[in-house]
Amino acid sequence: MMKRSFFGIFKPKLEYDVIDDIKGEPLVVSPQKKITLFIDQAYEKISDVALKVGDSVKRGQKLALTPGSDRYALAGRSGRIAGISPFIGISGEPKTAVDIDLSDEGRQEDDADFKNSSKPPTLKNARDFLEGLPGKPEFDVFSDPGKSIRAIVVIGVDADLYGVANQYFVKNNIISIKTGIDILRKITGVLDVVLVVPQHLVQTAGTAGAIVKTVDSRYPAAHPRLIMRHFQEEAVRGGAAAGKKSDFAVFNAESVATLGAAYNTGRLPLEKTLLFVSKDGNKRLASVLIGTPLKDVLNAFGETLNQGDRVIFGGPMTGVSVYSDQHPVTADTDTIIIQDSSQIMEQPGTPCINCGECVRVCPTNVPVNLLIRFLEAGQYEEAAGQYDLYSCIDCGFCAYVCESRIPIFQYIKLAKHTLDRMNAAEVTHA
Amino acid sequence: MHSAIKLTVSHAPFCHNGSRISAKSYNIMLASMLAVVPGFYFYGLPAVAAAALAVGSAMAWELVFNLISRRPVSIGDGNAALIGLLAAMLLPATVPWWIVVIATFIAVIIGKQIFGGIGANPFNPVAVAMAILLVSWPDYLDFNTALVHYQFDFEPVTYPLLMVKSFGADAVETMNWMDLLMGRQVGGIGTTFGIGLLIAGVYLMVRGYIRWEISLSFLAGIIITAFIFNKIDPESYAGPVFHIVTGYTLIGAFMLATEDSSSPVNFIPMLLYGALGGAFTILIRNVGLHVDGVIFAVLVMNMVNPLIDKIRPKAVGKVA
Repeated sequence: MMKRSFFGIFKPKLEYDVIDDIKGEPLVVSPQKKITLFIDQAYEKISDVALKVGDSVKRGQKLALTPGSDRYALAGRSGRIAGISPFIGISGEPKTAVDIDLSDEGRQEDDADFKNSSKPPTLKNARDFLEGLPGKPEFDVFSDPGKSIRAIVVIGVDADLYGVANQYFVKNNIISIKTGIDILRKITGVLDVVLVVPQHLVQTAGTAGAIVKTVDSRYPAAHPRLIMRHFQEEAVRGGAAAGKKSDFAVFNAESVATLGAAYNTGRLPLEKTLLFVSKDGNKRLASVLIGTPLKDVLNAFGETLNQGDRVIFGGPMTGVSVYSDQHPVTADTDTIIIQDSSQIMEQPGTPCINCGECVRVCPTNVPVNLLIRFLEAGQYEEAAGQYDLYSCIDCGFCAYVCESRIPIFQYIKLAKHTLDRMNAAEVTHA
Repeated sequence: MHSAIKLTVSHAPFCHNGSRISAKSYNIMLASMLAVVPGFYFYGLPAVAAAALAVGSAMAWELVFNLISRRPVSIGDGNAALIGLLAAMLLPATVPWWIVVIATFIAVIIGKQIFGGIGANPFNPVAVAMAILLVSWPDYLDFNTALVHYQFDFEPVTYPLLMVKSFGADAVETMNWMDLLMGRQVGGIGTTFGIGLLIAGVYLMVRGYIRWEISLSFLAGIIITAFIFNKIDPESYAGPVFHIVTGYTLIGAFMLATEDSSSPVNFIPMLLYGALGGAFTILIRNVGLHVDGVIFAVLVMNMVNPLIDKIRPKAVGKVA
């Protein structure tokens, strides 16, 4: 599937994985000794710190660095905080890592905060407790005064290859999705809900009580930003938003299903459903508690890591390779791929030969062959102004087909990141 | 979050379709053999010697330039060898050795390396070399004098394009297009066996190593323009089929016009580039000074390539 077709006259095709091809129930992976949770906030020594090493934590407890902060993590097991440390994300996002030593299975205590405040469901208690759920639901858009939400889009497809988490919930848990959609309607007041699913799940999706739309089975059709472009264009064509900006709120099917389950039971389901791809290419489903270190997942699947192997969190096109077997599963880890060091392809540093493969596969018509010349030279503003840097949806297809094997996608991410930082600096110093 | 095992950390995407520059170069060279080997058969050892010298000297020039400019040695990508082979295909078999060496020098150093190496050349390196040779040493590239000592089993042993240029379409009326296609004509080492070039072209287009849009529109440009000239004055101007099977047309369509760096990548520009290149070829052949127009047509189109490649679909989400 990953190789160039013999007949190069056709566009390369990458087909998404289909949930029906993945056999078996998810393997439940439990953390052994500890879990690590990330809070999307810089770790600073501040006076009124809400978290201290040694604090005990209950199952389902909300962990925030400062009291009342809207950046928090949810503990999936009870235990004791063993360490709080700064953590730098892949593109330099400041985060805080909280290590929790777990108590024994028999001494698990449930935190009652969510249960007590979850009746009736409101936007406030959703924002206060549910943003750490698997699939990362975000409720900020509803309270943004600059936006008028036209519809809620529930994405029942997976953005990257190998991703099946959302499909899994549409196929096996459509009732929870229906519950979640009903609750979302109630708490947000937005009545239009669209459920986007792959072709083969249309019938199941029909019972969710939402408008069902399908996407193509070829990468990158299910990319959330492409789907959103489609909706925005449709809204513009419909003329409904003439002169007025219309926005959409996006949720993963997984997050809607867990949200439904959370309000139904009063307990926070913090098990992330993911696809584990072992070195031999075997694909198996797993249900892993958020925060479980990679090592425990590897042990559960009987996979061993050697020097020079590569572990990818996320799909093969857009994922992130991690540097430690202690790295925890997070709320948006849809896939874990283990590659043997022998499978890793070398990247020779040839310049662009202008073959144009990238231009022909680009889903948004970016002139990648010209763009890359400006990016290599560090001329990011020209790249953004004249060569459509911001039309790029970060699908990575150009780098996949690049004959010179230029890390185009990395250049693009670096350029966007640098420009964002420059703009942010301009705003602060203005 | 420390780990005892050192893992490989790199950037997305973590998979690749496996294509590489060397695969493209070697495939084009392999396909070219369909025309080169019959050339060896027609012209014997001198042709073998010229081709070997061209490939070898092109690679040597590339290596020399790599060493002088202290850049990574790049002969492994096969591009220099390909340039050498294509240059040899265009030359007559009895060409002096120093012409071959100069040709590859111009192609590799002046045509490609001084612009920054592979991918940075604005003109097709082989076309640059041939253009300079055609202007500087036209006598050595004259197929009639070069091949005068050969015994051929076909008539006339004159370069067909020169005949039609000097004596009009009547002079080539006796030439059967099938004979011409089978290589029963005078020409370069790798340019006369049209069947081989056609098969090579189809192979390369199907494999995606050359862009079919450019090759097919180039041929279409030749056919349409030649047809118009032929209709206007059938006595002076030969028909489209004659123009397809003679001179550098087929090698130009499949191997010269399609050079990556100097040709467009968008759909409409590719069609324009090819069609205009074909039309230019016929214009030069029919009303221009030179006997064959492919080399100069390719160079002219290389020059306008950056301009026409600006015709591209608007990027999705772009406001202005």
